[in-house]
Amino acid sequence: MESLNADELKLFVESVRDYFRVVARQEPQITSAFLATGELEGHDYNGIVTFSGSFTGHVIVSMPGQLLKELLVLQGETDLSQGNLLDAVGEIANTLGGNARKTLGPALQISVPVRLHGAGGIQARVRKHPYAITLRWNHQPAVVCIDMEKR
Amino acid sequence: MRLMIVDDSNMIRQRISRVVQGGGLPGISLVGLARNGAEALRVARATQPDVVTMDLTMPEMDGIECIQELLRMLPRTSILVVSALSDKSTAIQALRLGARGFVAKPFSDDELKIALLDVAEGK
Repeated sequence: MESLNADELKLFVESVRDYFRVVARQEPQITSAFLATGELEGHDYNGIVTFSGSFTGHVIVSMPGQLLKELLVLQGETDLSQGNLLDAVGEIANTLGGNARKTLGPALQISVPVRLHGAGGIQARVRKHPYAITLRWNHQPAVVCIDMEKR
Repeated sequence: MRLMIVDDSNMIRQRISRVVQGGGLPGISLVGLARNGAEALRVARATQPDVVTMDLTMPEMDGIECIQELLRMLPRTSILVVSALSDKSTAIQALRLGARGFVAKPFSDDELKIALLDVAEGK
């Protein structure tokens, strides 16, 4: 098993930027992209997609409720219930995972998203040393965890 | 034109609904929503849509299988794929199966409107 290289990691950073640029018309500030060695601090809403095929692992998007509410309001949504916030974070994970196929190839298989509530959600799926992209958008923090290996 | 929206995300179903109902798409009216391919076939049977927006990654029945089943049932339906699977081979596969257009997620309202109009007008 081989880890992602710098270019492959960069594609996820660009996907995160692109998501906010298109949906919120304002890019996030990417505060860091690093190989995590300790436990990652997550947020209350977690969307997880699982990879199989040419890569194995997960992409986990972890966001606070306030950030998701602001993203939904920008899209005209008025239902800001917990269920809708979980749906939104799952859809963001699905988008980042799906977009990765453009670079990583169609042999990358992507699951439907799983949604978890609770700040411990990010630890539920992560293996030892994932890549973590931390960001801030509209004063709100978020983490995207890239925990995948080439087969 | 009667539109059905198929996507497992409520956020996306509502977003597309608002774009359609917000103006700028004359003659297109929303007749149905579905959360997966299996539900889409049931809703399509009841509502006979002319245009469908179709996600690909969904539980129960995915979009690729649903496109084939839907076009077998309603061959004149125009399908616009709206998916995060934005690689070229997925788009080509969907178009070969009979989809008329492809919009990659994330999308802007304008991108979606233009693509919907093109598909509805048979461009």
